[in-house]
Amino acid sequence: MMKIVGKNIDRLDGVDKVTGVGTFSTDLSAPGMLYGKILRSPHPHARIIKVDTSEAEKLPGVEAVIHRGNVPNNPFNTAAPMYTTVPYLKPVLDQWIFAEKARFVGDEVAAVAAVSEKIAEAACKLIKVEYEVLPAVFGIKEAMAADAPEIHDPRITPEGKNVVAEIIRIPPGLPGDALDKAFEDADIIIEEEFKTNVQKQCQMENMAALAITKPDGSITVHSTTQTPHPTKAILAKVFGVPASKIRVTNPPYVGGGFGSRIGLSGKAEVVAIALSMATRKPVKVVYTRKEDFMATDTRHASIVNVKLGAKKDGTFVALDLKGYTNTGAYCTFGAELPGVLGAMTLAIYRIPAIRYYGHSVYTNCTPGGAMRGFGNPQGNFALERVVDMMAEKLGMDAKELREKNISRAGDPWFLPYPCSSSELAECIKQCARSIGWERRGKLNNGSGHIRRGLGIAVGTHVSNAWPFCVDYDNAYVAVQSDGSVNLSVGCCDMGTGISTSLPQICAEAMGLKWEDITFTFADTASTPFTIGNHASRGAYAQGTAVKAAADDVKKQLLGYAAGLFKVSPEALIIEDSIIKPVGAEGKGVTVVDPMTLPGAIEEAAAAPVPPPQDHEIVKPVHTQGPQKGISLEGLAYYAHIRNKQFIGVGKTIPPNAPPWHCCAAEVEVDTELGTVQVVKMAAAHDVGTVINPLIVEGQIEGGVVQGIGYALSEEILYQPNGQQAHTSFSAYMLPTAEDIPEIDTFIVEGSDPSGPFGAKGAGECGLVCPASAIANAVANALGAKVNELPMTAERVYALIHG
Amino acid sequence: MMKKITVNFTLNGKAIEVFCEPDKMLVDVLREELALTGTKIGCREGECGACTVILNGDAVNSCLIPAAKVVGKEIQTIEGVADNGRLHPIQTAFIEKGAVQCGFCTPGVIMSAKALLDKNKSPNSDEIREAIGGNVCRCTGYVKIENAIKHAARILSEISVTGGGK
Repeated sequence: MMKIVGKNIDRLDGVDKVTGVGTFSTDLSAPGMLYGKILRSPHPHARIIKVDTSEAEKLPGVEAVIHRGNVPNNPFNTAAPMYTTVPYLKPVLDQWIFAEKARFVGDEVAAVAAVSEKIAEAACKLIKVEYEVLPAVFGIKEAMAADAPEIHDPRITPEGKNVVAEIIRIPPGLPGDALDKAFEDADIIIEEEFKTNVQKQCQMENMAALAITKPDGSITVHSTTQTPHPTKAILAKVFGVPASKIRVTNPPYVGGGFGSRIGLSGKAEVVAIALSMATRKPVKVVYTRKEDFMATDTRHASIVNVKLGAKKDGTFVALDLKGYTNTGAYCTFGAELPGVLGAMTLAIYRIPAIRYYGHSVYTNCTPGGAMRGFGNPQGNFALERVVDMMAEKLGMDAKELREKNISRAGDPWFLPYPCSSSELAECIKQCARSIGWERRGKLNNGSGHIRRGLGIAVGTHVSNAWPFCVDYDNAYVAVQSDGSVNLSVGCCDMGTGISTSLPQICAEAMGLKWEDITFTFADTASTPFTIGNHASRGAYAQGTAVKAAADDVKKQLLGYAAGLFKVSPEALIIEDSIIKPVGAEGKGVTVVDPMTLPGAIEEAAAAPVPPPQDHEIVKPVHTQGPQKGISLEGLAYYAHIRNKQFIGVGKTIPPNAPPWHCCAAEVEVDTELGTVQVVKMAAAHDVGTVINPLIVEGQIEGGVVQGIGYALSEEILYQPNGQQAHTSFSAYMLPTAEDIPEIDTFIVEGSDPSGPFGAKGAGECGLVCPASAIANAVANALGAKVNELPMTAERVYALIHG
Repeated sequence: MMKKITVNFTLNGKAIEVFCEPDKMLVDVLREELALTGTKIGCREGECGACTVILNGDAVNSCLIPAAKVVGKEIQTIEGVADNGRLHPIQTAFIEKGAVQCGFCTPGVIMSAKALLDKNKSPNSDEIREAIGGNVCRCTGYVKIENAIKHAARILSEISVTGGGK
């Protein structure tokens, strides 16, 4: 029976956050601090001929102006995975602090440090830049055309013009004819093309960094990064300095992330450091919301082609999938994201013959990067639409068709980790019951202008980043001399609750009272390496390391205590921070001073100077019972004055495990206006053992609402001149409290053999299926082909009226 | 740069005097002049609600209010919600009901909720959603925020019945 894992323990960061005393990067200041501002390109593609900073430098209050001519020009990538690239794949290094040509509207050209933000902004306007404007391209297909302009040096695109990194093929290598043969066995084949648009993370805290460089060469950066440790590695490459000179830390809170700052926070860290080096003063760079929209990574727009073959009885026999993602001006995550798109889409169903071909494409758009779901929502929408089309063609129920074909625990599959657990079938049941699935097809009588529809979609995701990038983890657990326990992990808590969940895992594994644990995180100076918080990996991957460290230190504690009790370590347990004999679980014991135990008496008898009789260190007894126990506090102090310390180390390589989820939607479509109203959403998730149910529900609900935005209203479009058309919250339509439907959330608890206490990843999957389910509901309401996201009123109107 | 003026107002129950440009926005007065960084900046355009404070009883976006406009006004920020370190029932409810994730929107949402509950002891769902309709929260999906505000309303009405609390 677990006492801490599985419980709705109040978040450790709760009080800080509800009282406003919790600090975020944007709140920080340092003595003598200057403010940095960035000059950005107004052109989507232009060679920078000359940067004249003379007027800007003359403005009173300006302390430095930097541009390509006076900063390091080492190529890098702002994305963390390019510093954790698996063997034999080559990292794509296609970014510079300031590039020799601008590749999107908003690309960094120069920056100013001044005594105030206003002066820095004014100085940016005084910088004169001479551009040679180049032809630009914005669409995926257009960028792959023969006459498209080349956006990067051909050495960066060995597979073809504007093709990013390696083309991803599943299975690897050149295709054989097995797939074509499998399609010959299909009774029905459906082939469709789907398009999804750009979504923005819209984390509430804008990109921010405070850099403090010192004459001894040390660099400290407080920033909004989701990955302090890999960010340290990136900064070392950018500035050509030893990583050991750099400290990266969150302060400790980060105002959301959703993938937008896996690695650098846009260029906030590099510009702040470069300006701090130039001025020898602390420099803080905070992006505006407009800069966040135009110049930080977005979700990739995509084109996905699906060809699905099935037998008459509904058995899927072959799936051919192609994914093309718009990575914009720079690669960032464009190398591995198409891999996740393909892998997660192919993994949903048992299909004997599968094939995927995919890659990213450079364009002159804002870089497409990582956003919650990481390619999965794009592929999921396409396949789940086709499954509904297949059901219709077969005359089968869409839910039953899914139930017939879904992957099951233990199924052999193509991924290099096992399909180790799945409660997807139960998730489907829960969603269908909640949404009233039996009503499907009976909701409309053809009168009026409102049509109702129901839709369902299923999916999976990852619990860490393997095999898409390096994925291992570490944790330290140190018992303090007062018996409290400090856990140290290099994670970032951007709101996911990981700074509560990891201590829960540690406290459960060690048998601690909740009050006895403290947590150190988000600082490269005081924590061991982790690749950071992304890929839904916190609770699973970091959790595995925490569990290992906790088990390690517990073994040390019990081993030491066994010498005092004069029993074997296996005869002892720890419960509520009391070490006591096996068999006393859940029972009171008399907590005594360790000095009174047989091993301690023996030691004292052998001591050269006998101890004083009134030796009394340990505070009053915690509980009463027939057997003897000692408190962790007592043991730690007893050990402390004997030069004995307990430090547990966890070093783990988690294999990865699939979480599963189902979403169901009920919608109303106004056929006169084209508007879609989501009436209800149901979401059921198997994320393994739940560490903290309230936190997991919050992840699911937040994901569902982001999914509603992705489905219906959120997109960044481009004007013909390359300007982003949506760069503010008044133009970019994300859901507010007044837009949300009833949301029914279910946690279908399973247990994965590889996760800590059976946990799997929970961070991203909330956002994978909602848009697919809503699209299926809209298609069901209208009997129309919904092949593009988002389903804005204009697009839906066009579906109805042509 | 505009000539600085003296601005007097009441902040969290105390008289305050600030010497600043009349067009300096209230959020900057709070964060820069008074080092009260609990009030956040998410957009500076009045479109996200992260900077919400209570001005003479109403929830407002402090990024849109110049210092000259707050002369003589009564302002409450997130730093003034707890009573001598004792959390306000809204704050407790936000923690207990899971309404806090990244925490960046939280101070603003709490101020909007407080402005509502100060006037309306038992708001319905529509009234709660309208009150926080200008506060963007990208983490929670608003479900648990609404629950927390409802829960706080219940607790507050119990306190007023039993006569305890502030």
